[in-house]
Amino acid sequence: MHPETEMGLNLTRRRFFGQGAHPLGYAALASLLGGRASAANSIDGGGVTPHFPAKCKNIIYLHMVGGPPQMDLYDYKPKMKDFYDKDLPDSIRKGQRLTTMTSGQARFPIAPSKFKFKQHGQSGMWVSELLPYTASMADDMCFVRSMNTEAINHEPAITYIQTGNQVTGRPCLGSWVSYGLGALNHNLPTFVVMVAKPSNTEQVQAISGRLWQSGYLPGEHAGVSFRTSGDPILYLNNPPGVTSSTRRASLDGLRRLNELTARDIGDPETVTRISQFEMAYRMQASVPELTDLTTEPESTLRMYGDAAKQPGTFANTALVARRLVERGVRFVQVYHNNWDTHANVAGRLPDQCRDVDQPCWALIQDLKRKGLFDSTMVVWGGEFGRTIYSQGGVSQQNYGRDHHPRCFTLWMAGGGIKPGTVYGETDDFSYNITKDPMHIRDLHATMLQCLGYDHSRFTVRYQGLDQRLTGVEHANVIKQVLA
Amino acid sequence: MIRLPLLLVVASLTASQSRADTRYEYNRDIRPILAENCFACHGADSAARKADLRLDRREDAIASGAIVPGKPSESPLVERLDLADPVKRMPPERSHKKLKPEQKAVLKAWVAQGAEYQPHWSFISAKRPPLPAVKRADWVCNPIDRFILAGIESAGLEPAPEADRRTLARRAALDVTGLAANPKWVDEFVNDPSPNAYDKYLDKLFASPSWGEHRGRYWLDVARYADTHGIHFDNYREMWSYRDWVIGAFNKNMPFDQFTIEQLAGDLLPNATLEQRVATGFNRCNITTNEGGAISEEYLVLYTRDRTETASQVFMGLTTGCAVCHDHKFDPISTKDFYAMAAFFNNTTQGAMDGNIQNTPPVIPVPSKGDESAMEQLQGKITKAKLAVENRKNVSRGEFEIWQAKATPATISGTVSPNGLALSAALTEGKGDKAKFVIAGKDVDIPLTGAAWVAGRDATKALKLNGSTATVPDAGDFDFNQAFSCAAWIKPPVNAGFGPIVARMEKQPDYRGWDFWMQDRRMGMHLINKWPSAGLKVVASAQLPANAWTHVTVTYDGSAKASGVKVYYNGQEQPVTVENDSLAGTTRTKVPLRLGQRDAGEPLANTPVQDLRVYKRKLSLNEAESLGNKLDGILAKAPDKRTADEKTQLFNWYLGSRDQTYGELKAGLVALEKEEIALRGRGTIAHIMQEKPGDAMAHVLERGEYDRRKDQMKASTPQSLPPMAKNAPRNRLGFAQWLLAAEHPLTARVTVNRFWQEVFGTGIVRTSGDFGITGEQPSHPELLDWVAIEFRENNWDVKKLFRLMLTSATYRQSARATSVKIDKDPSNRLLSRGPRFRLDAEVIRDQALSASGLLVAKIGGPSVKPYQPDGVWEAVAMIGSNTRDYRRDKGENLYRRSMYTFWKRSAPPASMEVLNAPNRETCTVRRERTNTPLQALVTLNDPQFVEAARVLASQVLADKALANDSDRLNALARRVLARDFRADELVILSESLADLRRRYAADPADAEKLSSVGDHPVQGALDRKELASFTMMANLMLNLDEVLNK
Repeated sequence: MHPETEMGLNLTRRRFFGQGAHPLGYAALASLLGGRASAANSIDGGGVTPHFPAKCKNIIYLHMVGGPPQMDLYDYKPKMKDFYDKDLPDSIRKGQRLTTMTSGQARFPIAPSKFKFKQHGQSGMWVSELLPYTASMADDMCFVRSMNTEAINHEPAITYIQTGNQVTGRPCLGSWVSYGLGALNHNLPTFVVMVAKPSNTEQVQAISGRLWQSGYLPGEHAGVSFRTSGDPILYLNNPPGVTSSTRRASLDGLRRLNELTARDIGDPETVTRISQFEMAYRMQASVPELTDLTTEPESTLRMYGDAAKQPGTFANTALVARRLVERGVRFVQVYHNNWDTHANVAGRLPDQCRDVDQPCWALIQDLKRKGLFDSTMVVWGGEFGRTIYSQGGVSQQNYGRDHHPRCFTLWMAGGGIKPGTVYGETDDFSYNITKDPMHIRDLHATMLQCLGYDHSRFTVRYQGLDQRLTGVEHANVIKQVLA
Repeated sequence: MIRLPLLLVVASLTASQSRADTRYEYNRDIRPILAENCFACHGADSAARKADLRLDRREDAIASGAIVPGKPSESPLVERLDLADPVKRMPPERSHKKLKPEQKAVLKAWVAQGAEYQPHWSFISAKRPPLPAVKRADWVCNPIDRFILAGIESAGLEPAPEADRRTLARRAALDVTGLAANPKWVDEFVNDPSPNAYDKYLDKLFASPSWGEHRGRYWLDVARYADTHGIHFDNYREMWSYRDWVIGAFNKNMPFDQFTIEQLAGDLLPNATLEQRVATGFNRCNITTNEGGAISEEYLVLYTRDRTETASQVFMGLTTGCAVCHDHKFDPISTKDFYAMAAFFNNTTQGAMDGNIQNTPPVIPVPSKGDESAMEQLQGKITKAKLAVENRKNVSRGEFEIWQAKATPATISGTVSPNGLALSAALTEGKGDKAKFVIAGKDVDIPLTGAAWVAGRDATKALKLNGSTATVPDAGDFDFNQAFSCAAWIKPPVNAGFGPIVARMEKQPDYRGWDFWMQDRRMGMHLINKWPSAGLKVVASAQLPANAWTHVTVTYDGSAKASGVKVYYNGQEQPVTVENDSLAGTTRTKVPLRLGQRDAGEPLANTPVQDLRVYKRKLSLNEAESLGNKLDGILAKAPDKRTADEKTQLFNWYLGSRDQTYGELKAGLVALEKEEIALRGRGTIAHIMQEKPGDAMAHVLERGEYDRRKDQMKASTPQSLPPMAKNAPRNRLGFAQWLLAAEHPLTARVTVNRFWQEVFGTGIVRTSGDFGITGEQPSHPELLDWVAIEFRENNWDVKKLFRLMLTSATYRQSARATSVKIDKDPSNRLLSRGPRFRLDAEVIRDQALSASGLLVAKIGGPSVKPYQPDGVWEAVAMIGSNTRDYRRDKGENLYRRSMYTFWKRSAPPASMEVLNAPNRETCTVRRERTNTPLQALVTLNDPQFVEAARVLASQVLADKALANDSDRLNALARRVLARDFRADELVILSESLADLRRRYAADPADAEKLSSVGDHPVQGALDRKELASFTMMANLMLNLDEVLNK
């Protein structure tokens, strides 16, 4: 990232748990030194006051890495049956740039979806047979079939939908939310990331720590990765042979020595450090409690499916995501990989859908049951869509699909979102948008709106400019999807 | 007189308003207000400009009537701030900007005073300022102190007393070497009565090679050094020879001008040495991709942009990133300036795709130390041998002509015996969904999936593989100890990616089986029992030409060794890279043989293929040659009907098969080349810069998008800076020389400011990467200029500059803060006390390693993989990435300095990242410095730190000279803090120790467990309960605030 974090320049005393806390260092030091609290204690600042009442307090963003094929899941295209193995008309492709994986292909044979679709709920949303659980709650959800982006390859596309820019280095959505809203629970991070393991790993794409970085926002707003194997947070556990009470006793000694240093040297950072070691100790209890699912009733586990008990599965992370928002974590980012179906859509897509379908349903039921659904937005989608034409050959049994930026489907549900909505339409080829486009900038603007922020005013000063998630180009709040 | 430091100016601004005699300066008082509130619409950016009004240039502001100098009441700039009409009032409501009353007053007074502008301070060349007058002249050790003291005194403060020698010794050791202070050196310094005791101590530190490592470590952030490519696969990049160069340059105390020139343009120096070329790795540290669908031009543009932005930021403190898309709103760097500067960095032979290989061209071999002369000799021999081979060709030509005049297909028929032909397919049908295969002698029609027939060789058709194209259930069932061979004609596209021509291999996790494999147009083979622990992978080093037919053969001799695999292109044996050589156990699998894909995954994209053959034996060189030159068609023609190209093909075959002398000469050459490869294998390579022929050029890109080219720009430096010398070359060398010219206003200032930041925690300009208009003003402008000129006039001598800083009274102050100082100088910008801030990630780890004696003093070499929790890489890496599995090292590699830890960009070293180490994707000139609970968990629980504590404890316990607990605790303190504990500290420590002893006496099993953390062996004789208790004491000490801070 670019190093000049102007707004962060003062924040040498940054704390992980964010900005809602009182600026402990100076005040506590002042009391130690017997003096008055310094005026400088506004340095840490607070969150950004929302511009209007928020409809949503938390977000769970389920990112399907690789780009799910929209026409096999949500964007029903019955006419394509007649186009089997026919070339994609030039009038549809309109000279669009292609990835170099198919740009050399002699022809672009259309592969109609081999999966059956049915209409569901009051909205009459068409959903593929691969997603029966998701289909059953169509009326809770808002499907956007007209998402679009400019990026055609994974790295720039994921970076774009996460940070509003194709080039790496900007803060991601979760960091903006953490920065704006701040912490609700000071024993947990405001922004947590989990990378779920797909059951099928034919074509897994790269996921990088850069995707949850805070860019020019202060470092405390970077996502904290909860690992799905080993300690949930790095180095959380005491070394072998050190019990919690031994650690406590040793920290007591450390604290007393550091207090001597604070008195002697008078550096406010020392006082902050004392409190951070205490916080670390508390986390050693609060984080394992959080990821320990044995306290969940069997009925809940059953709802998420058998995989829920297996750490690292999508079902497991979905359940942990609910526990996180329940405890006040603002933004939970879950990645589920292997949606990059260049080949073998028929073989792989059922596995992909099985991984996520029931857990998504369970998550929403669970949030409802806990009274969290109205204040939590759940978002599901990839970084781009896929082509109606087959990459490689097409047969009645199987086909592959290349990346397609011009349209893809994403769904939202919960806090601030209008239930039972279907927004946007595409042409018969699921290639071009014919009605109500929603660019990823519009998605960002709309999500911020639900959190109470006007995207054009939710800015931070960096390199002399008021930077924002939606960047310099125009972005619209899509009112039709708002409750 | 001295200008007041910025924060004092700000503090006194309100008070000064009433004073009519205040003289307002544009740079200090006015520009910040205009930049914040006006320039977005009335600045340099022509696209965003409103009402055709510019306020950033005096002549424009006056010409447009916005400013009437001396007459604020007639100047709209002032008047429109207070209009009642919201339409006319400035700044407009929708900008959400608002001026404070005192800011309005300042603008008004400035216009009244004549509205004089100044160029931005950092664009005015530095002049050596006079030393300011100070009251306490006795406090001053060198000129730095005069400037600092003047600031302290004008704030009504006193400097802090000098730190005691032990504190100073530790501080200097951390600043010069980045390691814990050597207890012996500290004692010598403390007990040295001579007046130059401190100088003598510094001499030892500066002479230590740890100096070069420590300074180099900061530079690696700047250079965005890492051991992987960064994007997508994020595979290994063999880059460490550049890191070695950086360390060596600092240790040689290479002048900073030379340091700059060699890194930016070492390749362009006359008679460039190997070292100078290695230095150009600076511009090869950028992140690169090899993602399947990536468009080359897009990435070439990004790479050039990165190199341009890096050079701007590092050497000039300019954030030029905005100018990529539009004229920079505030800085005088226009979009044209940016692309003209980018042209310097655009003229490279580096391709867009890194190939997922560790040695992406252009690279050069770097022999290991001691092999340099052997390499030179060998290269001479190779040149001679090549000449001999060429000469033989000329001699042989005559005999060939006689032979070919008589040669017919019968002449060479039977060269390749059909023996052991397990499978063959011509793949020339040209239509339909089936292809004829011959399997074990029987014709079988195999159905094709998504068959695409494309133009083949010689007017035939060929089958284009694209993912699994055909499945053959019962062929290719080979075990690891059976010889076999595969051959085919193929025509790979530019971006063929990864995948097999033919494979009989399971999907993950084991990948059992074999494949005839292509990656990035390099052919090779896998034989796998279980990947990666029991597998073999050999790939040719050279790429196949794109979009051209090549015959490829891979043979395997059944030896289960990588040396048993040979790869031929058009019948020529190829040098190979062995990526894995651990095959053991069966390779047989039940999955079928497939064309274009393994059983699942790794589809090969868009590759036409013909004449596929799989033999159940190892083909000989001669057979590979014969297969590779399907000469029958040519030989069938009458000799006079053969084209020149066909004759060349025949001649090549003839040389390889019929000319014995040629064969011997060729074999000699191959042997020498093998020797060279072996020699290279002992050494490393360097990624270097290599200029393309022709003038350096770049296109202005509309909105920065690669496919929207506008004007072509010749390489040139920004208009607002002094011009390049007339006779300077218009390339990177000319650019580097221009940066270092005496009149260049930025390079020396920016450089000394960054070194200042390393020592004092904050630069004189706090925004050390932004000296432009949006950056901060210097806290001590005259000091910055003085130090910059001192540095430049002292031949850019880095050690001398550090000595100047470290011997100043400013540096030697105690870090103790009084409540008055916390009030008046809260973040120590005035340096009214000594520097104290949290150590960088690497220093925290290196301090623990050096204090415990675990640190391995070896300098340089390949990166190492010390302790890291499981799964950090695996969680993010792609399957197939060669940096997916973190297999930690053993032995000394666990205890090397942190700068040698393998840096994977998509998952940087875990403990260091928590402590604010950057991901090294782009240039970082200033790290964040946070204070978080996650950091506490690292230093408390990371096995690296726990082991260091244990070893520290065992050394103290084993020292018979230590009589009691106080002695032992003090021995720990001396190693870590360079001092003894005070009485009040010992009380607390003794209580803790007693408590720990009780606990471990009660639970000896816990004591045993704690004593076994880490690989380093435990001294057998030590009592484990005592060792555990002291390990926890050492662990506590390594977590003291005083230890984590300088």
